[in-house]
Amino acid sequence: MKKQDLIEKNPIRHLKGESDAKESSRMGLVMARPGVGKTALLVQIALDSLLNDKQVVHVSVGQSLDKTKLWYDDMFKDIAEGCKLDKAGEIHDAIMRNRMIITFNESTFNQAKLEERLHDLVQQNVIKPSCMVVDGFDFARTDRAALEGMRGLASAMDLQIWFSAVCNESADQQSAAGVPAPCKGVEDLFNTVVLLQPVSQSDCIDLRILKGSAAVSKCGKLLKLDPMTFMIREDCK
Amino acid sequence: MRDITKVRNIGISAHIDSGKTTLTERILFYTQRIHAIHEVRGKDGVGAKMDSMELERERGITICSAATYCDWKDHAINIIDTPGHVDFTIEVERALRVLDGAVLILCSVGGVQSQSITVNRQMTRYRVPRVAFINKCDRTGANPDKVIKQLRDKLGLNAVPIQVPMGLEGEMQGLIDLVRMKAVYFDGENGDKIRVEEIPAKYKEECDIRREEMLDAVSMFSDELMEAVLEGTPSEEMIMAAIRKGTLDLELTPVMMGTAYKNKGVQLLLDAVVSYLPCPTDVENFALDLDHEEAEVKVSNISSDPLLALAFKLEDGRYGQLTYVRTYQGTLKKGDSIVNVRTGKKAKVGRLVRMHSDDMEEIDEAGSGDIVALFGIDCASGDTFTSGGDYNFSMTSMHVPEPVISLSITPVDNKAQDNMSKALNRFTKEDPTFKTYVDTETMETIISGMGELHLDVYVERMKREYKAEVTVGAPQVAYRETITQRAEFNYTHKKQTGGSGQFGRVAGFLEPLEEGEYEFVDKIVGGSVPREYIPSCDKGFQKCLDKGALIGAHVTGVRCTIIDGASHAVDSSDIAFQLAAIGGFKEAYGKAKPVIMEPIMKVAAEGPSEFQGSIMGSLNQRRGIIIGTNEEEAYTVIEAEVPLSEMFGYSTDLRSLTQGKAEFTMEFATYRQVPKSVAEELIVKAQKKDKK
Repeated sequence: MKKQDLIEKNPIRHLKGESDAKESSRMGLVMARPGVGKTALLVQIALDSLLNDKQVVHVSVGQSLDKTKLWYDDMFKDIAEGCKLDKAGEIHDAIMRNRMIITFNESTFNQAKLEERLHDLVQQNVIKPSCMVVDGFDFARTDRAALEGMRGLASAMDLQIWFSAVCNESADQQSAAGVPAPCKGVEDLFNTVVLLQPVSQSDCIDLRILKGSAAVSKCGKLLKLDPMTFMIREDCK
Repeated sequence: MRDITKVRNIGISAHIDSGKTTLTERILFYTQRIHAIHEVRGKDGVGAKMDSMELERERGITICSAATYCDWKDHAINIIDTPGHVDFTIEVERALRVLDGAVLILCSVGGVQSQSITVNRQMTRYRVPRVAFINKCDRTGANPDKVIKQLRDKLGLNAVPIQVPMGLEGEMQGLIDLVRMKAVYFDGENGDKIRVEEIPAKYKEECDIRREEMLDAVSMFSDELMEAVLEGTPSEEMIMAAIRKGTLDLELTPVMMGTAYKNKGVQLLLDAVVSYLPCPTDVENFALDLDHEEAEVKVSNISSDPLLALAFKLEDGRYGQLTYVRTYQGTLKKGDSIVNVRTGKKAKVGRLVRMHSDDMEEIDEAGSGDIVALFGIDCASGDTFTSGGDYNFSMTSMHVPEPVISLSITPVDNKAQDNMSKALNRFTKEDPTFKTYVDTETMETIISGMGELHLDVYVERMKREYKAEVTVGAPQVAYRETITQRAEFNYTHKKQTGGSGQFGRVAGFLEPLEEGEYEFVDKIVGGSVPREYIPSCDKGFQKCLDKGALIGAHVTGVRCTIIDGASHAVDSSDIAFQLAAIGGFKEAYGKAKPVIMEPIMKVAAEGPSEFQGSIMGSLNQRRGIIIGTNEEEAYTVIEAEVPLSEMFGYSTDLRSLTQGKAEFTMEFATYRQVPKSVAEELIVKAQKKDKK
């Protein structure tokens, strides 16, 4: 399999934002209960940008640098093996140059600091990202203003930003579109919101698109993902 | 014979400047091995006892790990003083191999720095149980709580304080022992009079809370303690047993504190070493059975079993060559004959001594688990000794990294020349990462090692200890060449004009080898190359590996296969086939798309967050790939992979960029292909050099 095939099988191809949103500065949100695969999907989204020769910043709150790096290495290995990618080693070395990981402690993280770091990076000519994934952002303790700040950052830097959030799924905590707490009040700030759910007694994970159109998807608002590679499963297309 | 459960082999490991040598000095004082205290950078010109090398005294750092022995409360403690700089990693790793437990020293102000992370990783690799000691609590800005948090966050240790300091900085009066719930004071000029009293009222509340926390963490390791805690009656013995269990399982790191310089807390640390760190039988060590394909066999630790001892350090002291050994089983007796497993040579144990840095004490025998030194035994470090006979075991071979940097050295006169060879001979035996050879073209002596500082120290030692004055060339990076695709050759070597002729033809191909340096495959069928000349072909190929065609660097990762050839009844010879193989290799090498590889270092730079941008910029300029950054309060750690060739002089640059507030460590990571532009430069340079 070639690099191009990998790009096509990435679930992000199926996640268009709302029709009027600019692709390059959209915000996306991945929600799931703990342990389902939020980080995996974020890494997958980042890998997609990397495979398209774009630069990515991965912000990890509360996880160590080594662990985050491992996510990428493992994920890439699974994908490369699962899809029998040619020249995997070379591609790996090449794309990882375009990735930069910034880790924060839970207590030291805030939006202003992140913005400062990003500006530093661009100014020092270290990296000019077109995609940023933010893992471990605590939505329960964040106010709307911080998220609006991120939105501003996204359009100012021409950056698409993907967040992950842990959800609690009790029915009364949901918004009309089905976006669970703690994000139900801020869903309007995101162009795309997806929910990951494990399917019992089946070896795939459901990706439900709660917000944003599924323009190119042939299977509507529900995608089936392979739990190992987080690629779209062939059989459900 | 000594009771083996009362032996502790411990290391003291830490960041430079966290006061390791001072602490060791105090330990020796309190255990009455020495009778006066000297400071590391002492005004009295005597210097601390453990830093026995002059150079270390001058720089205030510890380079070689001397083994020292002392007694504390009926227990025998062997202390290995380990170096703290990453360039001497092999010394640290070798010391860790023979230790059963370690004390991790941290500065209460500096906390966990990048160096401690490296050392901690090494300890985890060798499964060394450890206790932590937060030193320098008397310094301004001391904050043990911060350090404990860093132990948890940065090192991932389950750090549990078992003491509370009574006052910090200049106000420090003593410590409160949370196990016994007593306040401990250190009286007398040298803090050697210990006074135990009730906890002062103003600390009572804090101590109750801390003890509660400690019991919570510790009772995870003992059901008995858990029940006793619920009933409210945990005994001292129960708590100590549980801490010991957690520590030995590497699940818990008890944290102590104090200040060695101001003589506080050292005796309690010694108590903890005895109570919580393992004795030789508590840890599992493995030997390799050489008769059964190096299968791992657990050593018995029984003194009456056949001998198994590891030489882990050589030293050329003023009393002749000293070999430090650790026995893993059996007994080492004066007058016994022992066998060096590597060479198969027999040797007789002449003098057996227990070392105390520079002085020593003669002994007659050393039981299993002990660390002693031998005189007059010829061996390299890492050799295993056994009692001989059929007992063919070796202690695990230690992982030795390849050198990544080299320099040429030229002696200034004839006398220096002699001394230099003596010194080099000694150093290469002592340190497996330090290598030396003579460049056949320039006739210069080249030394190679793991980093700039590593080589610097040896050059200095040559001057001081051997009076060998040398001039040093610019450091050279150890580049390598390798091939990236398969290529065929079919080469005939023919010289049949006059005299005895030479004839040989070989055909085959070169191909990239994923792992390993070189492989020779013989696929000749039907005897087109006579059997006796096959090794000649192998030899010929190997000769080509020394100097690649691109820049004359060492060639690695090549598999040479021969499939056909021809010979002549009279004119074929060993040399003819060697030359044919060399010709074949050269023919195919150019077609096999050769590339240059360079050593890549994993660099961790750490400094105040405001400098993060400029540090990243500086690494970026040096062709570094920044892997990521990690923010901790006001500090940021930046991890990057940078080619070694770009790292020369970085410490100066980094200091001037950050007003001296940042530091970095680097470790060899991997070899990677150099970018095209750099490769071209290197090739041009190599060609110019050839022309000269």
